Amino acid sequence: MNGWYEAIFVNPWPWWAGGLVIGLLVPLLYYTENTALGVSTGYGSILKALLPRTHLSWLNSKTFADGPGWRLFFLGGMVVGAFVSARLSGRPLTTPEMGLFTATVSWTPLALVAFFGMGGFLLGLGARVAGGCTSGHSIHGIANLHTSSLVATIGFLATGILTTFLVRVFILGGGA
Amino acid sequence: MMQRKLTFLVLGGIFGFALSRVGASEYDLIYGMFTGTDLTLAWVMITAILIGHVGMLALNGFGGTTRRGEKITVKAKPLRPLTIVGGGIMGIGWGLSGACPGTVLAQLGEGKVIALATTAGLILGTYVYARLVDSESWPESRG
Repeated sequence: MNGWYEAIFVNPWPWWAGGLVIGLLVPLLYYTENTALGVSTGYGSILKALLPRTHLSWLNSKTFADGPGWRLFFLGGMVVGAFVSARLSGRPLTTPEMGLFTATVSWTPLALVAFFGMGGFLLGLGARVAGGCTSGHSIHGIANLHTSSLVATIGFLATGILTTFLVRVFILGGGA
Repeated sequence: MMQRKLTFLVLGGIFGFALSRVGASEYDLIYGMFTGTDLTLAWVMITAILIGHVGMLALNGFGGTTRRGEKITVKAKPLRPLTIVGGGIMGIGWGLSGACPGTVLAQLGEGKVIALATTAGLILGTYVYARLVDSESWPESRG
């Protein structure tokens, strides 16, 4: 019994367990709420909550007709779920670390904020221009055999690989 | 309505929990996927796509209706020239930040402080998109 608890709630999951649970969310969201799995439109819901009187047409489209709405609950749930995961495996409450990146460079906090903020900016802009992100396009879209999702995913992977190569060579000092 | 929000909260919770458990919120695993040195997350995605596909086939096999008996509607996002452009822009952000719009939320929940900067950037980038589509020079502008 303890072994099962540890495997699910304490230890990291093997790749197939993560893929299984995440993949099942696609039919589960349709079965429960007739909704496509997706995250990035939720950032529009955050904007709608921050700027309820905005005149921007996208934020007044029918996507946000009921205000910030359920997407905030989905995004909020994701934060809570990861919080619970980190608590159960006994990680520190907060950490300034970001893996290999902060282990290699010794940048000022301001430089880190600028760099990761720029990354986030391109994630937000790019996901909207492409019409979705990893969950909406790469998982939900490809699982439903949508051509546009395959095209967007090719875009994500192509520049993701290129950018990471440049980060490795020019920032993290890895060999080319 | 409350039940609907609760459903999204719970399913979002499972999503965030799974992303954290499998390490999708770890910079090093994203880096490993994009450098080809650790393909764990690539396998997670491939498995999720296959399970999602089989799950949708099963759902359709059981009549294609929701728990309330409504007909399930799956709409493909339109394929436009901007699909690949936006995909390319997002990939740069993915490579720089080591996160995507979903996994950054898992990073926040885990207490990774730098994820606050990524999230702020994401909200700003989404805002700039909303401004751009309202401008007349936007390639898809009908104005």
